[in-house]
Amino acid sequence: MSSRHALVIGLLVLTLVLPAAAAAPPSRVPANVLVFGGVISDSISLDPAEAFEFASVWVANQIYDTLVDFSRDFTRAVPKAAASWTASADLTTYTFRLRPGMRFHSGNPVTAGAVEFSIRRAHRLKLSPSFIVTDFIKAPEDVAATAPDTVRVRFSQAMPEVLMASVLANAVTGIVDPAVVQRNATPADPLANKWMADHDAGSGAYELIGWSRNLKIELKAFDNYWRGRPPMGRVFIQEILEPTAQLLALQRGDIDVALSLLPSQVAQLTPQSGFIVKKTPTFSIRYLAMNVGYEPFRSRQVRTAIKFAIDYEAIKGIFENAIEVGETIVPAGMFGHLPDRPYSKNLDRARALMREAGLERGFNAELIVSTEIPLPDVAAKIKEDLAQIGINVDVKVLRSADVTSTYRARTHQFVIARWGADYPDPDNLAKAFADFDSRVLAFRNQWDHPVKQVVQAAVKERDQARRAAMYRDIQKVVLDEGPYVIFAYPLRQIGMRANVRGVDPSPLNITYDFSNASK
Amino acid sequence: MWSYLVRRLLLASVAIAGVLVIVFFLSHVIPGDPVGAILGPQAPQDLIDDLRQRYGLDRPLYEQFVRFVERLAHGDLGTSLATKRPVIRDLIEFFPATIELATASILLGVVVGVSVGVISAVTHGRWIDHAVRFFSLIGLSMPVFWLGLILLYIFYFKFGLLPGPGQLDVFLTRPPFVTGMVLVDSLIARDFDTFGNAIHHLWLPAIVLGSHALVGIARITRASMLEVLGLDYIKVARAKGLAERTVVFKHALRNALLPIITVIGIYYGGLLEGAVLTETVFSWPGLGRYATSAILSQDFAAIMGVTILIALIFSLANLVVDLAYGILNPKIRYE
Repeated sequence: MSSRHALVIGLLVLTLVLPAAAAAPPSRVPANVLVFGGVISDSISLDPAEAFEFASVWVANQIYDTLVDFSRDFTRAVPKAAASWTASADLTTYTFRLRPGMRFHSGNPVTAGAVEFSIRRAHRLKLSPSFIVTDFIKAPEDVAATAPDTVRVRFSQAMPEVLMASVLANAVTGIVDPAVVQRNATPADPLANKWMADHDAGSGAYELIGWSRNLKIELKAFDNYWRGRPPMGRVFIQEILEPTAQLLALQRGDIDVALSLLPSQVAQLTPQSGFIVKKTPTFSIRYLAMNVGYEPFRSRQVRTAIKFAIDYEAIKGIFENAIEVGETIVPAGMFGHLPDRPYSKNLDRARALMREAGLERGFNAELIVSTEIPLPDVAAKIKEDLAQIGINVDVKVLRSADVTSTYRARTHQFVIARWGADYPDPDNLAKAFADFDSRVLAFRNQWDHPVKQVVQAAVKERDQARRAAMYRDIQKVVLDEGPYVIFAYPLRQIGMRANVRGVDPSPLNITYDFSNASK
Repeated sequence: MWSYLVRRLLLASVAIAGVLVIVFFLSHVIPGDPVGAILGPQAPQDLIDDLRQRYGLDRPLYEQFVRFVERLAHGDLGTSLATKRPVIRDLIEFFPATIELATASILLGVVVGVSVGVISAVTHGRWIDHAVRFFSLIGLSMPVFWLGLILLYIFYFKFGLLPGPGQLDVFLTRPPFVTGMVLVDSLIARDFDTFGNAIHHLWLPAIVLGSHALVGIARITRASMLEVLGLDYIKVARAKGLAERTVVFKHALRNALLPIITVIGIYYGGLLEGAVLTETVFSWPGLGRYATSAILSQDFAAIMGVTILIALIFSLANLVVDLAYGILNPKIRYE
């Protein structure tokens, strides 16, 4: 090869390989427009009574107001459409006074009648997120407008303020404009659910301009929003499925925010290159569950031995550090979280416990796991760890649909799964993991423990300090005796251009708010 | 000719009916709960039971099949469990994007593939021929996903010559729906900016998706041309002193076209099924992703809808290829 050829090839390689480290090129997005790149193709409907997937919920949050919102630390409710409220002494009935002068995007006033209509509508439609309402409000008539600006909500149990907000700050109770809904109702669809899937009847910070499925959602700032017109005139959420393509679009200046980057890509975004990354632990949990219906897992010693056999730090490495290691069922950042981490890899202790259980020669067990990256690698690591205490694990990698069906049918032995909080109150997790009667995870793993009585009592406890203590007790019992090895609270990481302000990841998709976003 | 056409259409209907029966029962035999899969691991049981009842999934399998056939007879493909919309509406929304991409890919494959194949054949044994065969092998071996990302990197990110993922720039509005194909609809609406932008967005996915077809067509063209170029009538044509261009294009290529047309038909049918990897890399809203997610979530109505569409496409593609034989070779008669 001549030196000229070598030079040409060298230059070509350099142009191709030295890209991302260079400073960000200027954004090609206009100053008053914000463009998100992410995955919206899982969205089914933007009707607040139906929105339940990640993107649809946080988009619905921008279009619809709820009565209240969460404080940033998720310890109390703060006003939103309701300017104030009072609670009955037994915390079962709340009366809300609406903020005066609020308008829907249609120009109609936001009234107590609209709130009544909206929550009753969610109750009657009985769609995916409706259980968040029906679990706590038994009948549609329990929500009633008592005056043009006053609405009374009667719950089926005592509702401490955070739990009340879990229902009434949730997108499913978003306030819709009854006149718009009724105008678009049909005899076959009297609550206009189909029309509402991709149309707007809200009063939120942004109006829905259009939704091209699998392509983009376009929003426009609402001029008469009660908090003032949002700084960004237009917001686009563009479908970019592939994380590498998202990164390229961000670096090229075609989007301002990349919502679903891989952990290795996040590391490439540095302030020096004109980008920042914001991250938060989510209110969700990755765990290994053991079905107590399988003989060896009936033994508490075996369950504890397994907790001592697993290498938690190695699992964190498999997740490329995009998790926080945690071992309790209430995630970090949520009210009542117990930060205890009693387990770390200790093979002597684990083997001793296996001996105590009379299973020093080990046993065979099947572990099912979905194809979602990197879970098969986590399963392989757990197989390797458990082999060291004599447990021979047969890993079966299945479609996530099959993992779910097997888990529901209670025919698994080991399963790697995840649980994301539906609302930011420890009740949601305690019920799932520790209350057999709720027929969720404790039921699926056939673990019927007296701690369920504490779970059922804690949700009704009115004293915050005592309530927090009860949840800590529940977590301790589950940590010591439960059939779960909790190994991670996943992080949510968002990459953005350094000039973007007011876009913060939230532990829950129901609490995303970019009404103050600017750049 | 007409009786042949009617007979072929009848045979195609029988084949499609057979495919439907097989796919319906096979997709229901696969273990798993579609409602549980759609609603996810956290949905309460009563909600799952309610949805299962609403979609008739609690009924015996034969009853579900009878209901499916009844609905089909009325042109109703049912409602997708995943999108909660009529399947026919989903297909109308997603299939046009696939038609656009598949057509652009096959055009690229035909134009470049046939040209390269002819050049390779007429330079048989020389360095151009070796180079074509070498690059064909690379083209066939290159994973589509990888090729897509590399092309995005070079042409979009590095040099900014072509746009990034998506069917249109995010700030542009789709033209009013007529055919669902952005190119066609923007022409109908005389929106030439959108048309130009859509063409730009089409280049990279079309190159990626068409790369395998291009290589396949080039290889079959080369092989078929080599065979024809060795026949006596070509030698006679050359002996008569005809120009090489006339020999190659008028006498050789036309007679070499039959196997090429067959391959083009098969490739086009395959491309119209959608291509999940290309659609994923370029965020293309086509049928491939819809079909894949339907299969993964056991969305029966969507699976059946896509099956019907694909069976129709293949039957039609085969029929068109067979009819094209007669046009290209008058010796072929339809009986």
